[in-house]
Amino acid sequence: MSSLVATQSVSLVSVIRMIAFGLYLLPRNAAVLLLRGYRAVISPLYGDVCRYYPSCSSYTLQAIQQRGLVLGTALGVYRLVRCHPWAAGGIDDVPPARRQSFRVTRFGFVVASSHGKG
Amino acid sequence: MDIPGFISTILWPIKWVVEGLLVLFHTVLAGLGMDPAEGLTWVLSIVGMVLVIRAALIPIFVRQIKSQRKMLEVAPQLKKIQDKYKGKKDQFSREAMSRETMELYKKTGTNPLSSCLPLLLQMPIFFSLFSVLNDAQKGTAGVFWLNSDLALQFGNAKLFGVAPLHESFQQATATGHVAVMIIAVIMVILMTGSQFITQLQIMSRNQSPEAKNSPMFKQQRILLYILPLVFAFSGFSFPLGVMFYWLTSNFWTMGQQFLVIRNMPTPGSEAAKAREARLAKKGKLNIATAADGSVNHVVLEAAKPTQRQQPVGKTRAKKQGEKK
Repeated sequence: MSSLVATQSVSLVSVIRMIAFGLYLLPRNAAVLLLRGYRAVISPLYGDVCRYYPSCSSYTLQAIQQRGLVLGTALGVYRLVRCHPWAAGGIDDVPPARRQSFRVTRFGFVVASSHGKG
Repeated sequence: MDIPGFISTILWPIKWVVEGLLVLFHTVLAGLGMDPAEGLTWVLSIVGMVLVIRAALIPIFVRQIKSQRKMLEVAPQLKKIQDKYKGKKDQFSREAMSRETMELYKKTGTNPLSSCLPLLLQMPIFFSLFSVLNDAQKGTAGVFWLNSDLALQFGNAKLFGVAPLHESFQQATATGHVAVMIIAVIMVILMTGSQFITQLQIMSRNQSPEAKNSPMFKQQRILLYILPLVFAFSGFSFPLGVMFYWLTSNFWTMGQQFLVIRNMPTPGSEAAKAREARLAKKGKLNIATAADGSVNHVVLEAAKPTQRQQPVGKTRAKKQGEKK
């Protein structure tokens, strides 16, 4: 009986933690949705233009996934500023974060790494 | 529609230019005897502004074409990369291939892509025109050139005397301006048509066989049929004045694309083959053409089985040597 209560309270804690983590990831996931929309609808209108790999929008998407909305957006803006006709271009990846406690779904949403769906 | 403070600070110089061009054209047209308050005068001012801006972007375009020509030098290396990933269509191979290609461009200074700046420039122009038209109804002055009198005149200008430029289809349903609705619908059709042609030109004629097999290509295909919906939506909610900007811009892109595809096609594409055939017909396809970089190695190799190089007489060969 007592063990049952224990497991219940543990699962309650984990559920709360899950929700909290989900809320924490909400801003960046909203941005991911927006960027995916841009990449699906507006990006192809212009074809390949970016002088870097990954392209500016892809870079921003990854930056926001890994670093969150604020830092990711800042990184993205900095990249856009650097993407002008006189830039050499080339490979320019998002500076890696120190640790990653989540994973990215196929669509691009960021979810907790221990659960199938967030 | 209020653009947050810090963004409007960034946009200030672009707005300054946009407004300056708009007012300049308006002044000139009025000086030529057109009614300054007439909608057509303002529409032509918008068209003039677009033409100047797009013409100013030509150097960037030329630069891009020049580096495409320079790509001839790295064609063998590029081909090596393409051969390495031939037939590998999974995501990781594609990515690795893009990476290696980009690295090669950087190393050799032959990046053929135009960068994101030209696109980025268009958005503020769009925004400032939008906000100018939106604010003009209230007689709000612009950042510099467009004083409140002009702004009010712009906002109240009616095309053909019946269709206010600041009105969208959506607003017209409330105000009952049928002319606005008709013009909006015509413009949506024209916009869709021009974009469709531009996309189709690029996709069906100016893409290498490799690009045609990529998932990106399929995505573009789908998009071709979603676009009319996007335009229909914008035609519904954007003011007529903004639509004129968009339409003119679309037409410019279509023309520019046509010229580039005709004269500077992507190596290996149908357009490149068509160009070669045209040149061959005129008897101009020779080594000199290849040397100036407009026809790529890859193309010449691919074309060999179907097209024999015409033998050139000694005197003619000499002449061609001099031409260069």
